[in-house]
Amino acid sequence: MIKKFMIGGASAIAILASGCIAQAAPPIRIGVQAPITGTYADEGQGIEKAVKLLAEQQNAKGGLLGRKIEIKVCDDEGKAAQAAICARQLADAHVVAVVGSYTSGAALAAQPIYARANIIQTSDGTSNKLIARGYKTWFGNAAPNSAEAKFTAHYMVDVRHFKRTAVLTDHSSFATGLADSVVKDVKADHGKIIDKAFINAGSQNFTPVLTKLKSLHPDAIYFSGYYSDGGLIRAQMVQLGIKAAFVGGDANQNVAFGKIAGAAAKGAVIINVPAPQDLPYPVAKQFVAAYQAKYHALPPSVFTLTNADGMRAVMQAIEATHSVKPAKLENYLHHLKNFQGLTGTFAWNGRGKRIGSPFTAFEVGADGGYTIVYPAPSAG
Amino acid sequence: MGTFIQQVINGLTVGGIYALIALGYTMVYGVLRLINFAHGDLCILGAFVGLTMLSGALGGGHPGPALVLLAFVVAVIAISVAGVALEFVAYRPLRKADRLAAVVSALGASMLIENGIMLIWGPEVRVFPSGLLPATTWHVAGASISFVEVMIIIVSVVLMAALYGFVNHTRFGTAIRAAAIDQDAARLMGINVNRVISSVFVIGPALGAVGGLFIGLYYREAYFTMGWTYGLNAFIAAIIGGIGNIPGAMLGGVLLGLFNAFAAGYVSSSWQNAITFALLIAILLIRPSGLLGERVAEKV
Repeated sequence: MIKKFMIGGASAIAILASGCIAQAAPPIRIGVQAPITGTYADEGQGIEKAVKLLAEQQNAKGGLLGRKIEIKVCDDEGKAAQAAICARQLADAHVVAVVGSYTSGAALAAQPIYARANIIQTSDGTSNKLIARGYKTWFGNAAPNSAEAKFTAHYMVDVRHFKRTAVLTDHSSFATGLADSVVKDVKADHGKIIDKAFINAGSQNFTPVLTKLKSLHPDAIYFSGYYSDGGLIRAQMVQLGIKAAFVGGDANQNVAFGKIAGAAAKGAVIINVPAPQDLPYPVAKQFVAAYQAKYHALPPSVFTLTNADGMRAVMQAIEATHSVKPAKLENYLHHLKNFQGLTGTFAWNGRGKRIGSPFTAFEVGADGGYTIVYPAPSAG
Repeated sequence: MGTFIQQVINGLTVGGIYALIALGYTMVYGVLRLINFAHGDLCILGAFVGLTMLSGALGGGHPGPALVLLAFVVAVIAISVAGVALEFVAYRPLRKADRLAAVVSALGASMLIENGIMLIWGPEVRVFPSGLLPATTWHVAGASISFVEVMIIIVSVVLMAALYGFVNHTRFGTAIRAAAIDQDAARLMGINVNRVISSVFVIGPALGAVGGLFIGLYYREAYFTMGWTYGLNAFIAAIIGGIGNIPGAMLGGVLLGLFNAFAAGYVSSSWQNAITFALLIAILLIRPSGLLGERVAEKV
């Protein structure tokens, strides 16, 4: 039995070919609920393409439990009302699991319906409401909003063993929020914050505050603001002879960072989720290459890959439990240890919250290029 | 001790730049009683002209320092021309008009230059090429001072001393001071007041262009809205020193730089600006016409 997926239609049409397995076992249906049209069409189509690619690869290897995988797509347009309609349609189609949606709002509207129908949903939605109810069918595949600070604290305290960290932020709500979380998480990891200081974004004159930090002898200066200030801070640190390491938040990632800091950029560390093509894991490299070969484009964002991770985990659960029974699959996924995802190693807690972030620490090179230094690129 | 010396160096470097820019405000005000709000933007225009010189001609094989010198010359000439043109187009037709009209014209000119920079050089942060000047840094008593900082401090002092000498010890300087005290009387004495006014729109922007290019070379980045931040700081420096008073602008610039450094270094970085400006308000409460502003207060 060979199936062909007609891309472009709202749902895949299965074409049965002759001369296959004698007893035609019914296919395993997996749903995709994503914004195929509308503002987030790019992201939604990315999720659809990624899931179809994975199903195609698995079917080429003989499918799951001797059965083919059939993908059913529903366009939720990124809207809550349409998401609820999709959820009912996919439940009526007896899908085992649903991948998507892209927006938290659409995922939130659909989740109660999936929960009642006992259908697994794996989505990149990170709204706290999604885990607050503790649905046993919910598996968030993107890192929660707090993940960057947690990863940063872990990297600075446990990996680099910084004893004295100074935190520097501008006055924006984004940067102060991130800085506060990093302070809290570094303390939770038994690290020491020696000072939290402020800069005025765009003022360029950071030597006074850096001179003060220098007198406190930090091992590391963490900066949560933006690249145009971050590059200058790094340059002025070197100019003042500050030996502390520079660790920057995700807003420091921009080609201008290296240009502004010049020779001083070398050795600065920036923490962010890499673009799909920069993910260091071999499985991710293979997936992105296959995606590019099939669709002649790169995945639109890392969320394409986190949703693909949700699909991969569901397929692994079906294979490992030799079952498509929701209770067995949910139990397996909740107890999955160190799942090697495309976006890093992770697991799910009892509420379906992703534990293990896709964040990486990269070091800026002399040429302004990036090298991932943690987690080690060989992992997985 | 090293920290204290370092903060003084930090303050002097920025203060020197503020002072150079503040001179443009104070000289124009001294002669015309006009706050040239476009001055900060002219200075940053100087940084961008310099940037084009430095990045455009980089492939030509010029040795770094010679190229930097050339960039300074071109920026100073270009901004002087722009300054005179600004006076001719935006201020001269309004000289007899209500004072508010000239202020609005100045604000308009500021926006025109700012947005012009954005159209020509783009809205993104532009980066100056590295390696133009020696990267030497000296470490003295726990403090470090770089070649660029030394250059900024020395050149600022030399330029300000030269200006002071020019205004106080030459015939043309005497004409500027005369026009500042009473334009009609100066005219009766045979002084060409229009030439004096044009001259302050050459000298102010020329010094400002040097300041703007210093910012570019020191921080190695420039963006189109920068003129507002630096203009505001320099304007405040001019007020503190006593607007219209040339040594006052120098003193105000250096004090502002030092206040900023000490506020961030010894009190609280999050309150840096609040502390700085509270101190400045305190100075104005005690001396309403600025630290050296007595002579200006006499003439109304």
